[in-house]
Amino acid sequence: MKAQGNTVWLKAVWIGTILTALYLPIVSVVLASLANTRYMRFPHKTWTLDAYRAAAADYTTVTLHVISLQIAVSVVVLSVLLGTIGAMAYARYDWRGRSLFQKILILPIFFPQPVLGLALLLSMSALGIAPSWKTAVVAHAVWIVPIVTLVISIRMFGYDVAQEEAAFDLGASRWQVAREVTLPALWPGLFSGALFAFLLSWSNLPLSVYTSGADTPLPLWLFSRTATNYSPLVPAIAVIGTFVSGLIVLALLGIRRALFWPSAK
Amino acid sequence: MRRNPGLWYAMPLILMMLLFFAAPLVIVGWYSLMPPRSFALTADLGLQNYRSAFTEGYGRPLMWSIIGAALTTLVTALLAWPTAKILHHHAGRWASLVTALIALPIFISESVRLFGLSVFLMPGGGILAGTLNAVFDVQIGTILNTRLAALVGMIYIHFPFMLFPMLLGVAMIPADRIEAARDLGANRWAVLREVELPLAAPGLLVGGLLTFVLCLGANAEAAILGGRAVTVITAAIEQRFNYAQDWPMGAALTVLVILVTAALVFPALRRIDLGRIIRR
Repeated sequence: MKAQGNTVWLKAVWIGTILTALYLPIVSVVLASLANTRYMRFPHKTWTLDAYRAAAADYTTVTLHVISLQIAVSVVVLSVLLGTIGAMAYARYDWRGRSLFQKILILPIFFPQPVLGLALLLSMSALGIAPSWKTAVVAHAVWIVPIVTLVISIRMFGYDVAQEEAAFDLGASRWQVAREVTLPALWPGLFSGALFAFLLSWSNLPLSVYTSGADTPLPLWLFSRTATNYSPLVPAIAVIGTFVSGLIVLALLGIRRALFWPSAK
Repeated sequence: MRRNPGLWYAMPLILMMLLFFAAPLVIVGWYSLMPPRSFALTADLGLQNYRSAFTEGYGRPLMWSIIGAALTTLVTALLAWPTAKILHHHAGRWASLVTALIALPIFISESVRLFGLSVFLMPGGGILAGTLNAVFDVQIGTILNTRLAALVGMIYIHFPFMLFPMLLGVAMIPADRIEAARDLGANRWAVLREVELPLAAPGLLVGGLLTFVLCLGANAEAAILGGRAVTVITAAIEQRFNYAQDWPMGAALTVLVILVTAALVFPALRRIDLGRIIRR
């Protein structure tokens, strides 16, 4: 009995240590943003929100968020659309090339992202395509669409096709079946897929580095400003950016709740 | 269309993969066979870039990336195994909260988290050094700008990618199997080796593969935390592309990374059925 208590205690310490290690750097970013000196001298002599005021007044903050948002929203739309269609082939229909399709689809996930970015950059340069936020969308999509397809497929595997047949037997049209039977059943999968796509695109660095050209998304700006030209503005914008993505996720969750709570039981 | 709807539904993704995944890799492969410093596609192909890749010192960055990826995979596996066991064994509200807390940082950009790690480790006025100095009057040095720091960053970033597939793997071990093995007199080590690891193998394999492959291309860790202590292969490729304007050489190095990846991914994926893990 005593030994049991000891192991539980040990386990709690282990988990506590892991969580502390995971969150210390994140807390450090917040702490760093509260300084007003160019070089960090922690603990700060003066604790201030100056950096946030500066970030709010700086137009760069807006530009960075707009570019990140443009990319993320495009990726969400693309990946939910393609992912839904792809999940039909992945999970719903049994066809001759399916197992090969399933294997090929996960290759971009098991591929070093910066290398994919570099390969796309070289191809674009060879073809004379100037990188911009649009090419970054393509790069993100190559990696995120397969993930979203898998997320939607999880839901699709649990979906009973007989419901559709029943609706057809009752005289529903193709469109009616899609709108009233298929989509509501798959909706949670689509929603999780959209959430994943948004967050993965918003926080992506390794693909954006090589494919976004002169349009700098948030993570890329933070990356380059960390290396050179550091000031407390950098952690402040990092905190703001993370906050904004958190707010967007909360808003999405709120919309889902408002729209679907009554019927979801 | 009714006859084989699966293929039709697969078409958009197949097209995307061909245009934006396969085609770029083919173009890179082509460039890697062209004479050094050529820009337009030519048919004058040869293996000279690969020869110079090894004679001109690019073996080192590639080796660092492989060693870093292997070490990160090993350390994250050792950290994730007990964590996964604990979370699975104590499944419930606390475990779900802890799992969510571990997953959350994935969605904070790695540039933010690595930056946080660097201000934490900074010497003098860093969060750790500054706190120790102010509270305990202890001065410490730093591991920042060393290979170790880059490795710590890789472990930090990739731990969740190891943990979550491993959790799925651990969930595939039936509890009664472990008890049966214990009843038959197996000790802890025997249970781990003969029962737990083989049954959890699909999860371990996916986690290990994902971690290794992601680390193979990782360069933000080395750039932010490693200083000039280590040049990883991605940094070497980027340098060839951008500053040296030697696309064929950069392409040859890219192909080498892709070959290492393929040599691991293809055999591993043949052995695991991801669809079956997902369907659970």
